[in-house]
Amino acid sequence: MVNTTKNVLPWRILTLVVLLMLGAGLWVATTKIDYTWRWKRVPQYFVYHAETMTNAPADGLVADIENLGEKTRIKFISETDDELFFEIDSTTLNVSIDEDLFEGDHIGSTFEWQAGPLVIGLWNTLWISAAASVLGLIIGMITGLCRVSNNTTLRDLSAIYVELIRGTPLLVQLFIFYFFLGTVLDIDRFVAGIFALAVFAGAYVAEIIRAGIQSIPKGQMEAARSLGMNVPQAMVYIILPQAFKRTLPPLAGQFISLIKDSSLVSVIAINDLTKSGREVITSTFATFEIWFVVALLYLVMTFALSQVISLVERRLAVSD
Amino acid sequence: MIRTVDLKKTFAGRGQIVHAVDGVSAHIKPGEVVVIIGPSGSGKSTYLRCLNGLETLTSGKIFIDGVDLSNRKTDLNLVRREVGMVFQQFNLFPHKTVLENLVLAQMTVRKRKRAEAEAKGRELLKKVGIAEKEKEFPIRLSGGQQQRVAIARALAMDPKVMLFDEPTSALDPEMVGEVLEVMQQLAREGMTMVVVTHEMGFAREVADRVLFMDHGKLVEEGTPEHFFTEPREERAKAFLKQVL
Repeated sequence: MVNTTKNVLPWRILTLVVLLMLGAGLWVATTKIDYTWRWKRVPQYFVYHAETMTNAPADGLVADIENLGEKTRIKFISETDDELFFEIDSTTLNVSIDEDLFEGDHIGSTFEWQAGPLVIGLWNTLWISAAASVLGLIIGMITGLCRVSNNTTLRDLSAIYVELIRGTPLLVQLFIFYFFLGTVLDIDRFVAGIFALAVFAGAYVAEIIRAGIQSIPKGQMEAARSLGMNVPQAMVYIILPQAFKRTLPPLAGQFISLIKDSSLVSVIAINDLTKSGREVITSTFATFEIWFVVALLYLVMTFALSQVISLVERRLAVSD
Repeated sequence: MIRTVDLKKTFAGRGQIVHAVDGVSAHIKPGEVVVIIGPSGSGKSTYLRCLNGLETLTSGKIFIDGVDLSNRKTDLNLVRREVGMVFQQFNLFPHKTVLENLVLAQMTVRKRKRAEAEAKGRELLKKVGIAEKEKEFPIRLSGGQQQRVAIARALAMDPKVMLFDEPTSALDPEMVGEVLEVMQQLAREGMTMVVVTHEMGFAREVADRVLFMDHGKLVEEGTPEHFFTEPREERAKAFLKQVL
């Protein structure tokens, strides 16, 4: 057979054309329905300039107005002769000197940049996933080691755990954690959500770890033992480092799944990215835009994670 | 040094019981080089693996330096550090460099300081002739080099006995020599060695004593001159006819 280098460029272009056609088709389809795209409304749900209004706390008099540049300080004397100072943004000044004010009158406002619901949701999804990942990894490691243990009870218990978790839907597990365990043990919804995710991921991690350990040739353990190492030493120094390297790709997949599965915690009223998205939609009706943005944010998170893990993988590949 | 009394090891599987080692009594004296030969499946490797507790025995007794391995209270880890083992498949730790392979057990088991362990490791690598490869990972080494590292790794623990389980069987023919040379040097230095091998030349030249096993039983034992020239047993004669 003649070995010719295949020119991939035309095929790349074809890929691009197919994607563009798909996109164009979708766009045409959306123009046929009655939908107004309002992309401009989206950014304000990331960050917004929040206005805090300052109102007169009681009936009284504006005694003095002092301009400090950006800010303006107002001296207010109430009818009961209490002296009060307010600081507001100069441009919002709504009173003049010696003006009589009634309780609730608008004096001025201050503006501050604040994180919108999407950023808050993103942050919640991030830390919930991170906490559940760490916890799930610990649970999975311990269970995985139990799965290959010589002790029958440990083996049975871990097998039951894995079967129970893998055999029931995560959504149902979340409800059980929140409604049953949450009530019985009186735990917070965040704790319930994180634990449900961790216990769910732990079962899968355990199977990955077990497979990783069992994929290391028996000779490695024998060599370690023949040098006088005990089982824990052999595990820590010889078996687990090698198993870890082999399990990285499937573990990465598991944790990427976990980030996506964390969207389910929105059903127990945790303000994650998905729930924030739903809330924003109820106030904007920008259904299409928000769901696209939410999807993109999940994609950014999972892509970043898979990049980090492939970096670690390359690092560990030096001994191959 | 090593004494086995009526050692038996049976494997049960698929409804049948295999007597891998069937009542072997032997005595290996300090400084002696004993070569175990026999056809495949004769139980010689299993016997060797019993000697450092990698296989649990079914019945009988093993004494290593006076310590009873068959006693449940014996800490096998304490015995194993005195008994070095070299495997057919080398079993180097692939995630560690050559030097780290030698250093790790010294530090974790013998509790030596890193500097001391590294010095000892380098000295042994020099002895087996691959000092320049200390920073390489095992995968970059040839089979012969890997096996020499494995020997050095076992020696780093300062064992009183060395067990070799077909150390040259997985090697390309041109690499067998370099490994046998290292073993020969060890024998000259007075190391107590038990070697399972198919290298008849090595057995003849280096062994003080040859044990011939078949079907789990010790069929014949004697000096190499005796065994290779005038074996008593029919089974041994037939075997020698095949391999020589």
